[in-house]
Amino acid sequence: MSAPLLSIEGLRVGFRNASGGLVEAVRGIDFSVEPGEAVGVVGESGSGKSLSMLAVMRLLGSPARTTGGRVMFDGRDLLSIDEARMRAIRGRDIAMVFQDPQSSLNPALTIGRQITDVVRAHRRVSGTEARRIAAETLERVGIRDAGKRLDAYPHEFSGGMRQRALIAMAIACRPRLLIADEPTTALDVTVQAQIVDLIAELRRDLGIAVIFISHNLQLVAEIVDRVVVMYGGKVVEDGPVEAIEREPRHPYTGLLQACVPSLTGPVGPLVTIEGSPPRLGRMPQGCPFSPRCPRAESRCETQMPPLVVDFDQRFACWRPL
Amino acid sequence: MRDLASTLRLIDWTGWLGAGIVVIMVCAAIFAPLIAPYDPVALSIEDRLLPPDMVHWLGTDQAGRDVLSRIIFGARASLAVGIGAVVIGALIGVSAGLFAAYKGGLGDQIVMRIVDGVASIPLLVWAIAIVGILGVGPVRVGPLMLPNEIKIVLLVGVLFSPVFARVTYAVASRVVGADYVRARWLQGATHWDIVTGDILPNCLSPIIVQGTLLVAIGIVVEASVSFVGLGVQPPQASWGSMLSDARSAIYSGEWWLPVFPGLAISITVIGFNLLGDAVRELFDPRSEARTLVA
Amino acid sequence: MTGPILSLRGITKSYGQGNALDRLLGRDTRFVALDGVSLEIARGDVVGIVGESGSGKSTLASIAVGLTKPTSGEVLLDGEPLSALMRDHGGPWRRRIQMAFQDSSSALNPRKSVSRCLTETLALRGVPKAEREAEALAMLTLVGLGAELAPRLPHELSGGQRQRVGLARALAMKPDILIADEPVSSLDVSLQAQVINLLSRLTRELGLTLLFISHDLALVRTLCSRIIVMRKGAIVEQGPCLDVLDHPTHTYTQLLIAAVPKGIKGRRQHAAAAQIASPISTARESAG
Repeated sequence: MSAPLLSIEGLRVGFRNASGGLVEAVRGIDFSVEPGEAVGVVGESGSGKSLSMLAVMRLLGSPARTTGGRVMFDGRDLLSIDEARMRAIRGRDIAMVFQDPQSSLNPALTIGRQITDVVRAHRRVSGTEARRIAAETLERVGIRDAGKRLDAYPHEFSGGMRQRALIAMAIACRPRLLIADEPTTALDVTVQAQIVDLIAELRRDLGIAVIFISHNLQLVAEIVDRVVVMYGGKVVEDGPVEAIEREPRHPYTGLLQACVPSLTGPVGPLVTIEGSPPRLGRMPQGCPFSPRCPRAESRCETQMPPLVVDFDQRFACWRPL
Repeated sequence: MRDLASTLRLIDWTGWLGAGIVVIMVCAAIFAPLIAPYDPVALSIEDRLLPPDMVHWLGTDQAGRDVLSRIIFGARASLAVGIGAVVIGALIGVSAGLFAAYKGGLGDQIVMRIVDGVASIPLLVWAIAIVGILGVGPVRVGPLMLPNEIKIVLLVGVLFSPVFARVTYAVASRVVGADYVRARWLQGATHWDIVTGDILPNCLSPIIVQGTLLVAIGIVVEASVSFVGLGVQPPQASWGSMLSDARSAIYSGEWWLPVFPGLAISITVIGFNLLGDAVRELFDPRSEARTLVA
Repeated sequence: MTGPILSLRGITKSYGQGNALDRLLGRDTRFVALDGVSLEIARGDVVGIVGESGSGKSTLASIAVGLTKPTSGEVLLDGEPLSALMRDHGGPWRRRIQMAFQDSSSALNPRKSVSRCLTETLALRGVPKAEREAEALAMLTLVGLGAELAPRLPHELSGGQRQRVGLARALAMKPDILIADEPVSSLDVSLQAQVINLLSRLTRELGLTLLFISHDLALVRTLCSRIIVMRKGAIVEQGPCLDVLDHPTHTYTQLLIAAVPKGIKGRRQHAAAAQIASPISTARESAG
């Protein structure tokens, strides 16, 4: 395989808290995305999954900031290039879709205007050409009658259509990487299924690499090749989706799978993960999952296990499954 | 709740400056007889129009009265009107806003339209007009004789009430829809308990911010009313009446007569504004992000 | 005791009666959230109501507890009309039906501690002052929370803990019926399982009648004995939970089942599901 498209190396993100101390929410994560590959980043709220992707895009808002690591894209470290260069990459080479389609669109501008703005920000094209591209892109994400729909305002679209429009904005410049941060969480289940299909389809047809962030392992598994499981600001496990689903090695991954009820099989009490995720600033010294882990031993509480490689899977656990 | 120490750390130096000015002015007003070096109304013909020196720090006026002492005593009228009007305005406005937001429907419409009516009254013009009509003497209301200051406080208070009503209404109508209010209602809690125990406490921060800002406006209103001679009556001192008396001095070179009362007004107004901004910052949920540990 | 504990008869709810001009022109601008829904809940039943946004399931819950007035139709609590009971605002009947809310961030008063939230509830139930503290701790224990949380304010709790406090508050009234409106949809999966297990235990231990409103079929399958599927303000299918989910007859139920994420196994089914669902809904449809 050639060089990866995106490679995150030792990325750290922290907050300055009230007493001036630094609280780290992302504590050194590494993973890479190959061209055209779909990677799922899975974790609960507070695991640092969204923050690390915002750091990649250099979109962290105060008081959060990147405190270490590199993000290599196309042989350049995105964290050290100047803002003008980054602006050119953002939207053209790497695009992002957020959770809430409602607040990601400007209610005062037409959908068409918002898409053409993105196109014209990155490509020297005429107004009519930009409009043609916008219509074509909107058509591409499954909005019928796209030509007419360009003049609609966001409130005239349903939630699912708004998310489609946002995806259209994201792919209008044919990026090489699409980062989707919980793109279906605010949507109904049936619409969720459609959006997931759309992303899978775009990836297949346009060859766009995808990072799909979600708290739902089952959902992610439907479209990605590889899964990265995050907990307490660390990558605790990653590997091909088949391996992770069939044979998770980190106890957290295993429990995460087991606690989601299924529509088949016997009905009984659900498997639970006792306790709650660690709060920032109160991170355990050792493995972040140790206070909730049924397999934890004394070493887990004091020493952070390293990420070990086992064939094509990596996991950070002293007592793997 | 954030602990006190980390809360105080959120206040920047401008906030502390504002708080300092306000505290000094309030103390000056309360302890005026102890602080003021001279009697503010004592006339002394031989000491007329003395420029600032070591004896009279801020000089003396046309009647030989000490300007510093008059400014210190003048703080009483200014702050009394500013703070008194805000308290009265808040009592009326907050009740109206809470009622309208909680009740909804027709009651909401009636109350808020009355509020709109009151709000359409040009504040300063009406204050001057009403005092002008009623005269500057005490007014008999039933068994009570209201001195002119109280009249102004009540008047400005009523004129402030729409601001409080609208602020309260805006926040309260959001809080009324919160699930914790619905839960209280489902438990059968009385309307009074729900309004005072659940809705009001969650509306307080913008109300307090608004209050500190309106105190500043109240001070300016008092100064304006006194300036045109309808406020505090001579020989009592008020910043506005001192400015008014100093009109002629602008041309004859006694600069200390208009400058120091003017500075007192400006500094106090700035003080309350800075304090208001600091309070707003404190209550702003976004400022919590700085103490974010979750 | 033999009749249904809760019955809804022909509940209709429409919003926006239209202005005079619309009425004059004969335009119908009303939005119908519920269209003649009737259902009966027997004592001890655990019923799941599923549907997507706009299905009217939350409006139904809100009407059942009296938070929303239906445009027409009647709610009967143990055979007594709710509209009559509601004239006695703080009456003892309040204890019979309670609700647990969805959004855990607005479900608790941000300025009240956990213990204050529970003790004031107990006061309304008529628990003597001396016993309230102890009883509040008992409620916390019931929902699996420790006494150390009692002095905390809502923002010092995790989402799962807040949801449990909300449950404890509803249960502190000792209700016969609990209506839970999407109680776990804002929680992470690991916390979802905790709350679902808790609800399941409570229905068994307290004999609680539960109306569980959710969009998650798998959770409903785990928790409920009966399922009601709603769409656009009407019930489209109902019956014993396992029967309906294993052999759905209505296409909408089938669609919902197909849309549940299934991991790798879901990959092939996916394309099929997308075809049943029309990808475009008109703006008017989506207004719900």
